[in-house]
Amino acid sequence: MNAVPEHFDFVVLGGGPAGHKAAVQGAKAGKRVLLVEREARIGGECVHRGTIPSKTLRESAVYFAGLRKRAANLAPQGVGRQVLVTSLMQRLESVEQAHERYLENQLVRNHVELRQSRAAFVSPSEVELVDVNGGKARVTGDTIVIATGSRPRAPSDVPIDHERVLDSDSILSMIYLPQSLIVMGAGVIASEFATIFQSLGVQVVMVDKGERPLGFLDPEISDRFVSRFERDGGRYIGGVKHESVTNDLITGVTVKLSDGRTLNAERALVALGRTASVRGLNLGAAGLAVNDRGFITVDVNGQTATPHIYAVGDVVGPPALATSSMDQGRRAVRHALGLENHVATTTIPVGVYTIPEIASVGLTETEAVKRHGRAVVGRARFDEIARGHINGETDGLLKLVCDPEGRQILGAHVIGEGATELVHLAQIAMIAGLEVETFVDNIFNFPTLAEAYRVAALDVVGHRMHLRAVG
Amino acid sequence: MKSTLPGSAQLRSELVRKIEVCELELPVLPDIASRVLALCQDQDGDPRQLGELIQRDPALAGNVLRIANSAAYAPREPIVSLQQAVSRLGMTTMGDLAIAASVNGKSTSIKGREKEMRVLRTHAAATGVWSREVARQRRRNVEAAFLTGLLHDIGRAIVLRTVIDLARDATVEESVLQGLVDEFHASVGSRLVERWKLPHWISAAIDGHHDITRAAEHSDLAATVMLGDELAHWSESPDAEHDAALRALPILGVLGIYPEDLDELLARRELVEKTTKAFA
Repeated sequence: MNAVPEHFDFVVLGGGPAGHKAAVQGAKAGKRVLLVEREARIGGECVHRGTIPSKTLRESAVYFAGLRKRAANLAPQGVGRQVLVTSLMQRLESVEQAHERYLENQLVRNHVELRQSRAAFVSPSEVELVDVNGGKARVTGDTIVIATGSRPRAPSDVPIDHERVLDSDSILSMIYLPQSLIVMGAGVIASEFATIFQSLGVQVVMVDKGERPLGFLDPEISDRFVSRFERDGGRYIGGVKHESVTNDLITGVTVKLSDGRTLNAERALVALGRTASVRGLNLGAAGLAVNDRGFITVDVNGQTATPHIYAVGDVVGPPALATSSMDQGRRAVRHALGLENHVATTTIPVGVYTIPEIASVGLTETEAVKRHGRAVVGRARFDEIARGHINGETDGLLKLVCDPEGRQILGAHVIGEGATELVHLAQIAMIAGLEVETFVDNIFNFPTLAEAYRVAALDVVGHRMHLRAVG
Repeated sequence: MKSTLPGSAQLRSELVRKIEVCELELPVLPDIASRVLALCQDQDGDPRQLGELIQRDPALAGNVLRIANSAAYAPREPIVSLQQAVSRLGMTTMGDLAIAASVNGKSTSIKGREKEMRVLRTHAAATGVWSREVARQRRRNVEAAFLTGLLHDIGRAIVLRTVIDLARDATVEESVLQGLVDEFHASVGSRLVERWKLPHWISAAIDGHHDITRAAEHSDLAATVMLGDELAHWSESPDAEHDAALRALPILGVLGIYPEDLDELLARRELVEKTTKAFA
């Protein structure tokens, strides 16, 4: 080990979206930056286990679901058990490599030093690095950024063996599609995988303690999600807990529920949330600890209780989105450098890559009523939109939530293919403070799903006039 | 052994020619194994059918009963029927067994080298089981790792047999023989499983189990098997020297396996050996 620790202006722990952007931001300011990544490849869970791999599989599922919808008589009901999961994720490696190359080039261009090691705090300013062969080195940093990400939560009463009972990482390296799958959980990851596998012909049952999946969404959207999921052959069992999970070689996975029911499937996916990856970091030596939710507590700039240590990305908990993590990384470093930060935006959209997609920005109807006493809501069903019929996406919905006067847009919620793109129109309208009339007075391309904004806005205007008429 | 004719360079070039023009005698996947595999992957395949199918091959049936009764599966009462065994082991394991039976069968038998082949089979099983543990440690699906580990050295016996045939009555230096086996077994093994129509990722990972760049997009699986292979060797003689060599392996970096992860892996040796014994 080095006798005198090597010194850096910034030491960034973790090379995912948050850490990468933090490191580049520091280096762009002319600072000496060390990026420590425990894996051989940078990019974090987003590139190698999460967002990119699951979205690659999703593309195949969307294609197959679309084929079945448009040519119901010609397409088979499932892709078949013999189909290899890897064959449904073609181009994954090239997508990953391209993204990784782009990230690496950015580090090289900005002279960020990269080391593959595990880190542990020795003191608030000193970190011990251990490489894979056990070699040790110590470094110090004026500013240390923790961006070590998260990993799937593994409840102690669920025997995850990565063979039949899988987590959201190991499910992507499954060889063959199972015939049936129990999805434990109803958050974003659970819902995305449930619809992906269902679209590929797997019989899927989702189980969760919540009455409805994706509990943070506007209930009208999540109800629509459940009815579409069940119409396509899936099942959602809400308001129950798992009493036991057993794994028998011949009968597969058995889940006993708190209401006395027993479920059985070939495989189970455990997607009961994620937990901060802080194992071995020795946070105590830095004067830090995780909060009761298992994450590191930070302020709006990512600053922890130890002022020169910042934490960003999944390690600080929700929203745990790649985009918000990148913003947090840049923001933390700008704050440490004493540079001005833009006001933290509250209009971050949420995109859920279920089939169909769901997206949301701002307040739900319930939240708006709670905050303003009343809300004016406009809806556009995709069966009212020509493009919806052309795409065969007639069961989508766009919901605009406006203030009690029916003028300011407080939130937008969309379910249907293209939702994650569509939501940005509402986001920009909200950030710019545009009134709902903007969608009535301006012309969009025809035929597009964006027309739904005009239909929903007209609905808002109609409700507003009605409210005015009744006094 | 003393070498006179043919020379090692001549042997090598003849071996390369045979590989290039696909003149190697590649054993076929035993019919029973392909049918068991197909049934295990069939959406409607039922365990009863599987039991009946296995019954037709006494060697496979014996293997199944032996494994079902082994310490790896620890039955409370002895398993005496194939139906019971299939119920106990499950369809996926039956698929693995069909492959294991092929590894243990004609594809790895060479007259006069029985002991060497036995060692090879044990090592193959150990590599399969260790690879499975490496995958588990890294929260990757374990099935692919086991199958690929089990088959990783399947090319050794073929290269060995081919070189012995090429040499005809002449004796060949053992070092020359092993040198050729070391050099070509991965690519030949890869060709064999391709011919058996097993999934492409198995052949790619076999090809790359000594040089993961050869496995292209399946390099992660190849790296898993490479470490499984090393752990299987370590497991045969887990002394201090071997332990130190294991901890210095560059592949640990590729897999992101740190000293404490490796400690957790090594602690599973007893369990791994029990399972290996069942499959070998």
